[in-house]
Amino acid sequence: MLEIENLHVAVAGKKILNGLNLKVETGQVAAIMGPNGSGKSTLSYVVAGRADYEVLDGAVRLDGVDILEETPAQRAARGLFLVFQYPLEIPGVATMTFLKAAINAKRKARGEPELPTIEFMKQARAAAQKLNISQDMLKRPVNVGFSGGEKKRMEILQMALLEPRFAILDEMDSGLDIDALKTCAEGVNALRANDRSLLVITHYQRLLNFITPDVVHVMSRGKIVRSGGPELALALEATGYADYAEGAAA
Amino acid sequence: MTALAPSQAEQDFERLLPADASPSARLFFDQFRQAGLPNRRVENWHYSDLKAKLRAALPLAGAPDPAALAVARQKLRRCERLRIVTVDGFFAPELSDDFSALAGVEIAPAGEGEFFGGAADPLVDLNAAFSRGGFLLDIFAGARVEQVIEIVALAGVETDRSRFGRNLIRLGAGARAEIMETRDEGFAGFGDSALFIELGEDSQLDHACRCRETAGVEVQSLNIMLAARAKLRSVSLLSQTPFLRRQYFVSLAGAGAQLHLAGAAILGRNDHADVTLVVRHDARDCWGRETFKYVLGDHANGVFQGKIVVPPHAQKTDGKMMCRGLLLSDDAALSAKPELEIFADDVACGHGAAVSKLDAQQLFYLETRGIPHIEAEKILIDAFVADVFDTLASEPLRDLLRADLTKILGEEKPA
Repeated sequence: MLEIENLHVAVAGKKILNGLNLKVETGQVAAIMGPNGSGKSTLSYVVAGRADYEVLDGAVRLDGVDILEETPAQRAARGLFLVFQYPLEIPGVATMTFLKAAINAKRKARGEPELPTIEFMKQARAAAQKLNISQDMLKRPVNVGFSGGEKKRMEILQMALLEPRFAILDEMDSGLDIDALKTCAEGVNALRANDRSLLVITHYQRLLNFITPDVVHVMSRGKIVRSGGPELALALEATGYADYAEGAAA
Repeated sequence: MTALAPSQAEQDFERLLPADASPSARLFFDQFRQAGLPNRRVENWHYSDLKAKLRAALPLAGAPDPAALAVARQKLRRCERLRIVTVDGFFAPELSDDFSALAGVEIAPAGEGEFFGGAADPLVDLNAAFSRGGFLLDIFAGARVEQVIEIVALAGVETDRSRFGRNLIRLGAGARAEIMETRDEGFAGFGDSALFIELGEDSQLDHACRCRETAGVEVQSLNIMLAARAKLRSVSLLSQTPFLRRQYFVSLAGAGAQLHLAGAAILGRNDHADVTLVVRHDARDCWGRETFKYVLGDHANGVFQGKIVVPPHAQKTDGKMMCRGLLLSDDAALSAKPELEIFADDVACGHGAAVSKLDAQQLFYLETRGIPHIEAEKILIDAFVADVFDTLASEPLRDLLRADLTKILGEEKPA
């Protein structure tokens, strides 16, 4: 379970999050919607542990433990995972090498032995096939020369292999055509589980047609301003974010 | 102009020259004496002030006695490769493999006073004056050596010594070979070695050099000559270099010769590694690529000086040189000085240099996948360095360098 309490964050001296409160229960799929600049991506980066974000106040608890002092790798070891809006290209690092390093880091953190290479290859190939990721893609350097859709599928592949307890999907739909969106959403839905929480961040209701959330939160000016069921997303699609921007300004 | 008084080390060398030195040794020593130990006022030694660094000359290492051979033998592990072993710069047949069964290959001790020319450089001259007991490795015309030949340089019992290894590798026309050089003489002492590589027409050599520990002060000179259409791919991996100058003097002497030189230096502490190249395109239609990479942590200091010389007759020259640095600490430094001297009008020559830090975004991405910061750094450093090894066509050589890199980065996985 993820709990965020009164979180205040500044980036390069500019205040982005202003006392954000949020609770995502175990097994829940929560969506955060909000206009550009409302702080959605900042939220995902702060939870994942990016260094250049200054936390001024508040707490972020994962299963009751405050993780704000932890490194990104320590948070990942607790089962946190971030699907990047813009996955990084890493020239020179083979995708399989990277995946193996990530899986073995997780196993090490859990006190498990390294996965034998053969077993790892089997798992990675099986997971890749489900996401229409070709063997050729797995042979290339991490994300180098991948299309937007391929990069996102690779993110979901990593998520499938690392089996996180809590995943944040930061605008997974950006840069995806409808077919790629379906593939990725299917991949995510296959990972829905009673012991796994998902936080889906998006501008558009469209993504939520494919990944149905249990709850929807609306974010504006660095905090959650409204929460409701899936119908809230539909209402937003009809009216836009204008109400919320004004409400926050008032 | 009055000459400066000789330094302590220069006087020491004069005293160390054996009474029975051959006339040619004396001639080379005279050349050295006239130039003296290079200091920072000598332009191509500006970043490596040898005179300041070498305060006194250490006693000469002698030919290895049984005790020295025993020490060296302990360092040798069993391996598949055919090995040529030197101890303190002396060829040690006792520790080397038997090459007699290998067709087209001959290894012989280099006789005293047997010199092979070399670049006009005071340290090459000093080496010529003092060196004894090197070897000649001949790979005769048309021979195709399938096995990797390894040259291992080790130290004996007394490590605080001056060593002057001097060896020749010669490939006849059309010959092919893969040679790994492993230099592990320890941190102590002074080293001034010279390696000569002569490639006959249409021959091909893949050469890799891993310097695991170099002496307190060390100069390595490579004198390389390529005949027409010969092809040399040579990659070095440098680490743990308290003060190293590795200088290449290359002549692309025959039309259509191809040179692929690359290297990586992974340095920390106060390590200093200076790679200086002089590549002369002495014939037309020659091709050269030089790529050197530096990973510098702590107070490490990297130097790259690369000079491409194209005389008027060397038309259709294609030469490109690149130096890249990765700085891991604010106290590390890289000095890069490329030079092009082009006198022909139909050539394509270029050079570039770039220095950067590890990419914070890439690090963060890896860390969010559970990879601890230090491991993430290693992955990115490995990625920065590893493509240098692709210069080699020989897979066994690439694998050996790769295994050493893994060891250097401390991953402790056996190769």
